[in-house]
Amino acid sequence: MAKHPVSLTVNGDEHDLLIEPRKTLLAVLRDTIGLTGTKEGCSTGDCGACTVIVEGKAVTSCMVLGVTAAGKEITTIEGLASDGALHPVQRAFIETGGYQCGFCTPGFIIAAKALLDENPARTEEEFRHALGGNICRCTGYTKILEAVMQAAEEIRTTA
Amino acid sequence: MSEYTVVGQTVARVDAVEKVTGAAQYGADVHPPGMLYGKLVRSKHAHANILSIDTSAAEKLPGVRAIITQADVPSGRRVFATDKVLYLGEPLAAVAATDADIAEEAAELIHIEYEVLPVVQDVMAAIKPSAPGLHGDATKDGPNRRDINAQIRKLSREKEADHSDEISALEAELEKYPDEVYYNISAESHSEAGDVEKGFAESDVVVEDTYVIPRVHQTYMEPHVSVASADSSGKVTVWASTQGPFAIRSGIAGTLGIPLTQINVIGTTMGGGFGGRFGVIITHVPAVLLSQKTGRPVRVQMTREEEFVDGRPAPGCVIKLKTGATHDGRILARQALAFWDSGSVSGASIGSTIRVRGVYKIPNLKVDAYGVHTNKSGTAAYRAPGAPQAIFAGESQLDEIAERIGMDPVKFRLMNMREEGDAVPAGGSEPKVGYKETLEAVADAAGWWDREAGENQGWGVAVGDWTNGCGPGGVYVSVHEDGSVRIFHGSMDITGTDTAISQIIAEILTVPYKSVTITRGDTDSAPYSTGSGGSVVTFTMGNTAKLAAEDAHQRVLELASERLNTNVDNLELRAGAVHVITADPPKSISLGELAAYSLSTTGGPIVGKGSFARQASTPALAAQIAKVEVDPGTGRTRVLKLVASQDVGFAINPMAVEGQIEGGTVQGYAWAMMEEMQYGENGNINPGFVDYRVPTSADLPTVESVIVEVPAPNGPYGAKGVGEPPITPTLATMANAVKDAIGVRITELPIKPEKVVDALKNNGH
Ligand code: FES
Ligand code: FES
Repeated sequence: MAKHPVSLTVNGDEHDLLIEPRKTLLAVLRDTIGLTGTKEGCSTGDCGACTVIVEGKAVTSCMVLGVTAAGKEITTIEGLASDGALHPVQRAFIETGGYQCGFCTPGFIIAAKALLDENPARTEEEFRHALGGNICRCTGYTKILEAVMQAAEEIRTTA
Repeated sequence: MSEYTVVGQTVARVDAVEKVTGAAQYGADVHPPGMLYGKLVRSKHAHANILSIDTSAAEKLPGVRAIITQADVPSGRRVFATDKVLYLGEPLAAVAATDADIAEEAAELIHIEYEVLPVVQDVMAAIKPSAPGLHGDATKDGPNRRDINAQIRKLSREKEADHSDEISALEAELEKYPDEVYYNISAESHSEAGDVEKGFAESDVVVEDTYVIPRVHQTYMEPHVSVASADSSGKVTVWASTQGPFAIRSGIAGTLGIPLTQINVIGTTMGGGFGGRFGVIITHVPAVLLSQKTGRPVRVQMTREEEFVDGRPAPGCVIKLKTGATHDGRILARQALAFWDSGSVSGASIGSTIRVRGVYKIPNLKVDAYGVHTNKSGTAAYRAPGAPQAIFAGESQLDEIAERIGMDPVKFRLMNMREEGDAVPAGGSEPKVGYKETLEAVADAAGWWDREAGENQGWGVAVGDWTNGCGPGGVYVSVHEDGSVRIFHGSMDITGTDTAISQIIAEILTVPYKSVTITRGDTDSAPYSTGSGGSVVTFTMGNTAKLAAEDAHQRVLELASERLNTNVDNLELRAGAVHVITADPPKSISLGELAAYSLSTTGGPIVGKGSFARQASTPALAAQIAKVEVDPGTGRTRVLKLVASQDVGFAINPMAVEGQIEGGTVQGYAWAMMEEMQYGENGNINPGFVDYRVPTSADLPTVESVIVEVPAPNGPYGAKGVGEPPITPTLATMANAVKDAIGVRITELPIKPEKVVDALKNNGH
């Protein structure tokens, strides 16, 4: 199948790629660029494991074609820590035990980060609903919510 | 309060950073150079004869490198169907191609001619003579016919007297049970204690009901995947997302006739398992075969849809249950007849039917269970396999009895619970377990005793028991010149077991938790280890780790005694250094100094070895209380409160233990309220998250967990396995809460809104 030249910026690095139009952004990130931190749990847009941030918005990358992300700024889980320091959401997940198998964790952390960037002043109930697109099978969500609330608190008080 | 410094403390997990940064390598993240993509070719029918398989069109597709079928399996063990398929999605062949999309296209191009056969999906239909026989006419007698036939056999063996009259009478008796010849039976299991007939006759209240529990999928978030690489010398390397690398190694060896020494299984970080990730056939064997045929690494990865049609989910079942009790609340008898849907192969958890006995003194018990073939994929373990189903029936019925005799459900349970030394119905005697403590703890935490319920609100309670497994394992510990400690082992960590092992070793060697690092080897480099299922890891590997650390501890003291010129009895390891107990002024030498010194001794470096296989485990109890509100108009149930307590023996890492309790409880909630694999004429009809809904954070409130610690005599520091118990009571907890809210008992799960609306309607609302 014919490949198209596409440039995208992932975690600040520019990538000039040749990609087939049928490949999803998820496949491009994982297979072409080799950033495997973003996970594939369903490939139908229903589990959130593949969540990345495109132009400031959280999207399920299995539902986006790679070619349509041309010219866009993308942040994946690999791009969250800065200067070797973990992002507050990442730290909170560790401190509260917000992950077990860890497979949903990159998607959750990215989804939570996007929500926090938008508005860290949500209530727990609001976060529970806002994170309803991400499935975790291990934790029962209690500690994930604890992590998000802890990170929100930190972001609010340091902002 | 604790006499310990590292165990019993909440610590961050050893794999924390890799898991929150995306660095952890899961199965699908492995990508050796030159890797091909494998794809399984699956049956489009649930039951059909295969007339032909034509691969010619697929072979011509550019990028296709190999196509394999059952003819490529040297042992003949069924990897692919040949003449007949038994369920929708059963593998018939596999292809390897240079790209995932090409592999998928090629799989579509393989032309299969079917002769479609009648299908049976319902267990109760499958046992009837009219059902298609999936594996010929596999019939078994039901409980009454079985008893009569046993009597006939016994009489005919007694040669001294003539029993022909009695025998003909019994034979006539058999005729009374024409429906008790069950078809499509894959397995059976029977147990008995006392005399149930007598027990029911003496009971004041007898309740009988049929409980239907659906087949559900473990729904680990990472679909099955393996990457295999066979080199020209015949050596096979498999990166497998599995709970048991050593079991996968022997499974591949047996199926493909490869010597164990030629197979290395590297267990990758695993995206959940819950019991469903032990199978060798599903992806591992096809990946190895494709790699052998192409000489290139091959990845076989299932989609979520494939998981639903060809995973190995938890079996559904139908349980007919009868319980008798006295007016003053003593349970006298219980009888169960269960039919477990084992799908196309045998292997459903039918032995778990015995768990209808719960943790109660039931003097008379009879359990008859059958595994039944249907046109579905086979089943596998799911977190306390079989227990949630049996306990749902048992604990639902207990509430019905409590209601009829007018007793509080918690008090009724407390009064009937076994105590240390009591007989376990059909199974030995009870050790010391915190049954009552755990139930009392949840009742107190939930506010049960002064509970209030508004309109359409209700409270439910249930308990579930489970005993962790145990298996072989080995651990090495090495102490280094900087005083740090490294652990080597081969067991898979999903939920924080590596952390618990590290804590135990830090505790014994008296070093900070941060000075301990842990390396999980592959099957080539690690000592044998049992699979990570059955809540075995903390119990088994914890004990193994303890032995290894104690062995190293011994060597440390020997070295110190040489260095400090004193007898070992005068020495004590404390805070990372060996101290002479009686020395004044104090005299000590650090672990690091001893490790450095050891390098030039006859005895050599400090290496501790632990090896362990078996010790009696102690049962654990999970007790839960839910408060719900049901909307009678829409039938929707909202959980207002969910409290879960568990006797964990000893919590090595309390935060991780809470995580297990919360996660297991939510899986139980999901089984009760929303999950169900649905089957139509042609197989599974809801193979995706839109139609097979699993809970999200929006569905639930915070789960409150309560840790109870009644130590297990053989557990490390008294710890028990904690992963499985929390799912066992939740199904009944929810059903009991819904019953309390709306006054209608729902015996068929899941309790979906439409079912609630129907139940209310049938009840005249
Ligand atoms: S993989 Fe994209 S939402 Fe599940
Ligand atoms: S931690 Fe396993 S799926 Fe969320």
